[in-house]
Amino acid sequence: MSISLDLVWDLAAHYYENAGEWAQDITVYRKDAEIVMLAMLDHHLELAMLHRTRGQIERFVLNVQSEPIGLPSGFFVGEVLAAEERIRAEHSRLTWAHAPYPKKSVKGKGVFTYPLGPVRADVSEALLYQLQVMGDEIVRLDLVHQLKRRHVRPLCLGKPASDAVKIVERTTGTSTVAHALAYSMAVEQALGLEMDSGVAQCRMIVAELERVYSHLGDLAALAASTGMPIPQMEYLHHKEVLLRLNHHVFGHRYLRGVVIPGGIQAIQVPSAREWAGETIVTMRDDVERMQHDLERTTSFLDRLHGAGIIPQETLDFVRPVGPVGRASQRDCDVRRMRPYLAYADADFEVPSLEDGDAYARFVVKTKELIQSLSLLRRLLVSEDWMHAQARSLTDRELSKTPGVGLAVIEAPRGLLSYRVEVGSDLTIRHLDVSTPSERNWYVVPPAIANKNILQDFPIIDASFGLSVAGWDK
Amino acid sequence: MYYWHWLRNIVRRPYTTGYPTNRDGVVVSMGNPDGIKEFSDEGLRGMSRRAVALRQVDSGSCNGCESELSLLSSPDYDLTRYGFSVAPSPKHADILVVTGVVTERMAPVVKAVYEQMTEPKRVVAIGVCAISGGVFREAPGVIGSLEGIVPVTIQIDGCPPTPGDILRGLLWAVDGKDPEAVQGVMA
Repeated sequence: MSISLDLVWDLAAHYYENAGEWAQDITVYRKDAEIVMLAMLDHHLELAMLHRTRGQIERFVLNVQSEPIGLPSGFFVGEVLAAEERIRAEHSRLTWAHAPYPKKSVKGKGVFTYPLGPVRADVSEALLYQLQVMGDEIVRLDLVHQLKRRHVRPLCLGKPASDAVKIVERTTGTSTVAHALAYSMAVEQALGLEMDSGVAQCRMIVAELERVYSHLGDLAALAASTGMPIPQMEYLHHKEVLLRLNHHVFGHRYLRGVVIPGGIQAIQVPSAREWAGETIVTMRDDVERMQHDLERTTSFLDRLHGAGIIPQETLDFVRPVGPVGRASQRDCDVRRMRPYLAYADADFEVPSLEDGDAYARFVVKTKELIQSLSLLRRLLVSEDWMHAQARSLTDRELSKTPGVGLAVIEAPRGLLSYRVEVGSDLTIRHLDVSTPSERNWYVVPPAIANKNILQDFPIIDASFGLSVAGWDK
Repeated sequence: MYYWHWLRNIVRRPYTTGYPTNRDGVVVSMGNPDGIKEFSDEGLRGMSRRAVALRQVDSGSCNGCESELSLLSSPDYDLTRYGFSVAPSPKHADILVVTGVVTERMAPVVKAVYEQMTEPKRVVAIGVCAISGGVFREAPGVIGSLEGIVPVTIQIDGCPPTPGDILRGLLWAVDGKDPEAVQGVMA
């Protein structure tokens, strides 16, 4: 059976000459849609949006003339702040209608700036937190990022499409599969390649394995931040068990090199299926018990309840994705909105909470963990995925000339999208990425500077579980 | 409420591996046996083998190495059994652990952290990115190697290196010899 990889490729495009009309249509359409990506192409500024109920992607393309363009955040589209920042820096010939927001600071008697980072905590990524405190209360937080920018996008340009996957999957280590999958789907779409159901199932298995180990790591960090070594050790042990399973079945602990454009590159272990299934069942029971125990540990709950609530204005402006969004009333899961691979037939629930505090983020992650483990157990029953193979990119149906592919998927941390332009010599001509972390990081400063004290900071920081590598890519 | 679980764990076989000072086929199979290289023995003298404090600096990693480093404290590897701990401040640290390709903005930070550490001190480069730049070697704004910034004692290859390999490399950095060589003597 051959299934179309990603529904019908319905990239309906609207073209604009006038920046005002472009902005107006975006703000209207945005009421029912999620912004997927803002990209600067040769002479066009393109904003892609995913309709929440129809699952359709629409593009709003503005022909950039010499006239000044309004900043997307200027007309309250805050999801693209990172892309906006990048485009402003990279395309100096564009003229912007408004200056970016002035840098704000709090001044006054008793207000101190507490710089934290880029070297901080036990093991952490490079990010500088400028905490402004008055007594114990955090009154403002500024994040200084781009310290570890590795320029993934420019590095991929001109590389063969099958080689660039090695670079994109190293954008974020704990989202290796998500990046490789979104990139591969975009390349396959650009080349008009279709994948069979075995490949789709195998890709779903690795994607869910990644979601599980990523969430286990986040929960371990959260347990550590509240001073709960027992659940921390339990979560870390399960993460290690899963990474060993990854290595045993797919040949790499972080599943690198498994998802490639054209299929799956995996070492097949015949005994793997039953053994992996048993491990998943035991893990599910243990994780459920740990959640049950933590829900009854008052010293843990006291630290989480009401900590780091995301203000409503920030939610409306930035519209966070992934578990962070789902913990604050935003029902946004690409696996449901626009099912890819075989998610349309998969049976799983998307947990959603309303509070938007650290506790809600903890609950959403634990519930997602259990859902993913149940999904994995059902996926492993089938044998199709064991025979998944890779197709060479050169044996594609030549009916379609190489073109543009846009893939949107649900990474462990939320909505991830890749837009890839492949040339006729199978090299990358243009690449655009929008990661969940680069969106969700803008939620962190207002959530932390929201009546929290300095002692809450590590807990709130851990409850978000975002990656700096995904922001400074 | 955790007591029942504690009791169960007493009956169970311990999770912790004996690697690198004891044999463990599972950990070895995941690792890269020839991945650890002694880069320079400069400063290998004079290290006290009692309690070694580590300080990790991310100079541009993808967070894969951080993920593996955080697993060192898991019950499966338990780095404290060798006397290792992670120090929040470089001034308390004996070993500087560098992860990720060195970016131009992070290079002065790595240098400053190294200078803040008290003698005797060592540098361990973790992952192919920290050693040679890996896939990011050609990227703009990337230096790619620790050469000329800090003197590296041990390089632990891998993308990312497994916790077993990291533990072996760290012990190597302290003792100045491969801890796997001790296995024969002890067994």
